[in-house]
Amino acid sequence: MSVKAFELVPAVERDLLMGDKARINVECIECCGKHLYVGTNDCFIHHFLLEEVPSQKGGIKYSAQKLQQKYLGLKKPVAELRAASALERLIVLCDGVLFLVDMATLETVPSATGSGGAKIKGVTSFCMNGNPVNTDPFCVEIAVISSRRRTVQVYTVYEDRVQLVKEVTTAEQPSVVSLDGYFLCLALASQYMILNYTTGASQDLFPYNSEERRPIVKRIGREEFLLAAPGGLGMFANAEGVSQRAPVNWSESVIGAAVCFPYVVALDQDFISIHSMLDQQLKQSLAFRDGHILQDFEGKVVLASTKAVYVLVPLPLEQQIQDLLSGDRVEEALVLTEGAQPNIPRDRFQILHRRILQQAGFIQFGQLQFQEAQEYFRKGELDVRELISLYPLLLPPTSSFTRCHPPLHPFADLNHLAQGDLEKVLRCKRFLISYLGSVRGTEASRASREEVDTALLKLYAEQDHESLLDLLASDNTCLLADSSPWLEKHSKFFALGLLYRCNGQDSAALQLWIRVADGELQDSTRPDLYEYIVDFLTFCPNLDLVWRYSDWALKRDPKVGVQIFTKRSSGKDQSGQPMPDDVITYLEKHSPARLLYLEHLVLERRIKKEKFHSLLAVLYLEQVLSLLEGAPPPAPGQLSLARERLQALLRESNLYRVQLLLGKMEGCDQLLLERATLHGKLEDHGKALDILVHQLQDYSSAEAYCLWASSSSSQGAACRQQLLHLLLDMYLGGGAEERRGDLEMAAVDLLNRHGERFDAVRVLSVLPEGWSLQLLKPFLGRAVRTSVHASRTSRLALGLSRAENLQLLHDRLKERKKPILVSEKRGCHLCHNTFSCPDVVCLPGAVPVHTHCIAHRLSDSALNTHADSAPSKHVDSAPNKNSTQNSNHT
Amino acid sequence: MPEISKMKKPDVKVVILGDMNVGKTSLLHRYTERKFRDTISTVGGAFYLKQWGPYNISIWDTAGREQFHGLGSMYCRGAAAVILTYDVTSWQSLAELEERFLSLTDTANHDCIYAIVGNKADLTDPRAQLPADPQSPAEGGEPGTGPRVPSACPTPPASPLSPGSPPQQVGREEAAALYGRVLRYKGLDEGSSLPADRMCFETSARTGYNVDLLFETLFDLVLPSILRKRTENQRSPTVDLEDYCEPPGRRRGCC
Repeated sequence: MSVKAFELVPAVERDLLMGDKARINVECIECCGKHLYVGTNDCFIHHFLLEEVPSQKGGIKYSAQKLQQKYLGLKKPVAELRAASALERLIVLCDGVLFLVDMATLETVPSATGSGGAKIKGVTSFCMNGNPVNTDPFCVEIAVISSRRRTVQVYTVYEDRVQLVKEVTTAEQPSVVSLDGYFLCLALASQYMILNYTTGASQDLFPYNSEERRPIVKRIGREEFLLAAPGGLGMFANAEGVSQRAPVNWSESVIGAAVCFPYVVALDQDFISIHSMLDQQLKQSLAFRDGHILQDFEGKVVLASTKAVYVLVPLPLEQQIQDLLSGDRVEEALVLTEGAQPNIPRDRFQILHRRILQQAGFIQFGQLQFQEAQEYFRKGELDVRELISLYPLLLPPTSSFTRCHPPLHPFADLNHLAQGDLEKVLRCKRFLISYLGSVRGTEASRASREEVDTALLKLYAEQDHESLLDLLASDNTCLLADSSPWLEKHSKFFALGLLYRCNGQDSAALQLWIRVADGELQDSTRPDLYEYIVDFLTFCPNLDLVWRYSDWALKRDPKVGVQIFTKRSSGKDQSGQPMPDDVITYLEKHSPARLLYLEHLVLERRIKKEKFHSLLAVLYLEQVLSLLEGAPPPAPGQLSLARERLQALLRESNLYRVQLLLGKMEGCDQLLLERATLHGKLEDHGKALDILVHQLQDYSSAEAYCLWASSSSSQGAACRQQLLHLLLDMYLGGGAEERRGDLEMAAVDLLNRHGERFDAVRVLSVLPEGWSLQLLKPFLGRAVRTSVHASRTSRLALGLSRAENLQLLHDRLKERKKPILVSEKRGCHLCHNTFSCPDVVCLPGAVPVHTHCIAHRLSDSALNTHADSAPSKHVDSAPNKNSTQNSNHT
Repeated sequence: MPEISKMKKPDVKVVILGDMNVGKTSLLHRYTERKFRDTISTVGGAFYLKQWGPYNISIWDTAGREQFHGLGSMYCRGAAAVILTYDVTSWQSLAELEERFLSLTDTANHDCIYAIVGNKADLTDPRAQLPADPQSPAEGGEPGTGPRVPSACPTPPASPLSPGSPPQQVGREEAAALYGRVLRYKGLDEGSSLPADRMCFETSARTGYNVDLLFETLFDLVLPSILRKRTENQRSPTVDLEDYCEPPGRRRGCC
């Protein structure tokens, strides 16, 4: 309870009504605009002018001014009063007689001449139709309960007469009536019912003992009534007899009730109870002594005790809601707000509703009910900066945001809210992280993107949150100026670098990162920061930066640093890439890096440029030379590794300057193999083999040389044969006496291994006579095999070619199997004479010629030409009689 | 939030009837709030609006007390489904359905469907003792969780009362028989109506056993009623001022 929905304001005090006359009581009231009419038990009608005046406390007061009073002269209480303002009439029920008085003068209206008049006799109760069916604005409809029979009559009341419209009888005596359209809602002795007075259709509602308890039938809206039900209930029923709202539980002895949306106001003898129609709960209860009358007039709820009149003034909806909110009764406040929706203009409702939702959100937030809070914030479309501003230092000082006024919550800031409880602060921060994460990027937070991102950044940094880097890696609008001190404070230098990057300050980012990588600043975010920087430079499109900072990277680790150049995209777009020449010049100071870069160019990207190849070969050579000369003998594998690389390059590349390298190698006896290779490159095979055979005595290398040197030649097989013969001659040509045996063995091995590659005839001619057949058996075997193989292969090829040729001929004939026209008017292509007989020969191209002409021609060509192509031509152009077809169509 | 939905107009009405203390409010509460809690005796009635697909279904929870009996027919008026609830441990509660509550349904729709629901099945059926909804197990800490006291309804002395499990007073056959009598009372043909085994339920609001099944079966069954009501409304003689269709423009001739 404890909502203050209404305030009871005195309207007409006792002394103004009856002075000190103790036995005079208020019997009925009517309020029409500012006019208040009070009927008393001494048959007076008092007329007051009721003015609303603002009170000092902010509410309203009423000041009543008595305009007049009128004695009706019947000495009976005035039972009921109803105003018909359009007619300027008051309908008065007094002493069982219903009649009209003038609203202004209170004079009884004389009956119109003729029938009926303006009086109805024998009336116990009446009501006006709140939903008139008559379209004439200058009449009102009333329903009257007659005292004599069990009848209800419906009248139309005009300025000076009443007219009976309908009379219906009921099963029991009705005691209370209410009228809406054609529907009479009646309280009978034992039940309520709805009666359509035109059709006579009736609908029982529910039993109610009207003798035991006072029935109430109150029209509360279009075709809807509020009824007092057994068990102290206020039941709602519509004209169809259906209850569409849950009942309210007021009390057993309710005297009067009214609806002032969204509340049901009920008057009991000693109190007024106010229930919400939205959740059926009792919302407020006001003490009210000697309660007598409760009626609503055009939305204004007026009450009367026996001696005085009061107005029940509803407090503004906003105030009620705020009262609920200040009592942390969020749900109820929202129910009230949403329930009031139909009564508030749409745009105003939206503003109000949003604000209430936001306030509700902050209430839940203050109680650390974050899930609910988030839901309210979302529904209330909270400006997220309202929430951020609660957290000290999160909003950038440049933000133009000022908190909503009046404030949505009573908190100065988070510390105020948490009262120093660090756990609470932490939970609030975690909530903000998740909340900002959820609103980030949505339409709602568009206007405050900078604030949201910056606040998130700060929170992430402070909480050491893993999403910090994700935030910075994505598209963000964090404010650099505001965030950088914060990130520095929390030693998030890597993140700060990322933020610099986001703001296009790559150079600043690099400087910062280098300081971290050098250990000048402490930030353990990325243990592999150096590699990260290298990576960054690798993909950095700004060459200035690359030139500026690569030096540092190369100094630190040339092998990794060189990746800046080697791993740069070698794709099609070379426009933004550094020129290799520039890089090589740049790398002058960093020779290991330069070597790696050249290897990258030559070996990986296979750039065919003499300069790089020569430079790489020279560098390799220098490396080998320095290792050879090295004062401390190098590690065993190192030299051979270096030489292998050199040799491989010398062998595989054709671009380097051979003479330059030969010159550099001059005087170095250890690099004979390399020199042999270089001689080979110069096609000086004799010299090369000489080195290999006589100086190095490395026969397997010599053999390998032959194969290698011939492999690059255009006429591989022939060249190889030549080289092998050269080597064989060198072996057989002898040398020093003591090596003769070795050389001969090498010769035999060579022959036996490469038997098929030699020209056997030539070999046999140079072999010494004394060699045994057994010794050369593998060679001979291979040679013969090769020869036989070659012969058979060529025969096979010949046969296949013939077959193919035949097939082609066949295909061609099939293709061209068309009739060939021969007539007396066509001439032979060879002699240009016409044909006289059907025997012709057809040349390729379906050209018919005389048989004697082709015979002549063939014998000629056989005589003249013996060229290579002749035989095939013969086959090709052989006359084929089968294909000729005689046709003498004409 | 059900409060907002109160602003919407319900398409169809489901009413829960039954003697006091059989667990009508608890059933509704279990269904809507997914939990069981001790409720106080319902005063008058209450209702809840359930969004079921595109439709709004109002579920009326009525008061079982004799005092409010007269209101029952108001709630039933125009109902598309009535849930007649008894307590499986109380034979009397089943008898009351027939004696007191069946006549209230006279005001319901002529095609209204009826479900006979025996609540508190957890007291008699071991299957009903397991929480039906793993996300909201039966509350443990509340009073009365221990040995649950069977209904306060009068128990015929003939019932064998074993100390372990409370006696089941009402068997399924009896409920099915009542269903048959309901149909007869309504003048409905048993063959063309929904069969008893589909329309008799044993539920437990405490554990949630069969509660969703009950409501959702009914909602699905009342859908035709909604559609029928909608088409009727379309033929309503009321002029809909908002639903104004511009007549096809006719060119106005000169003179």
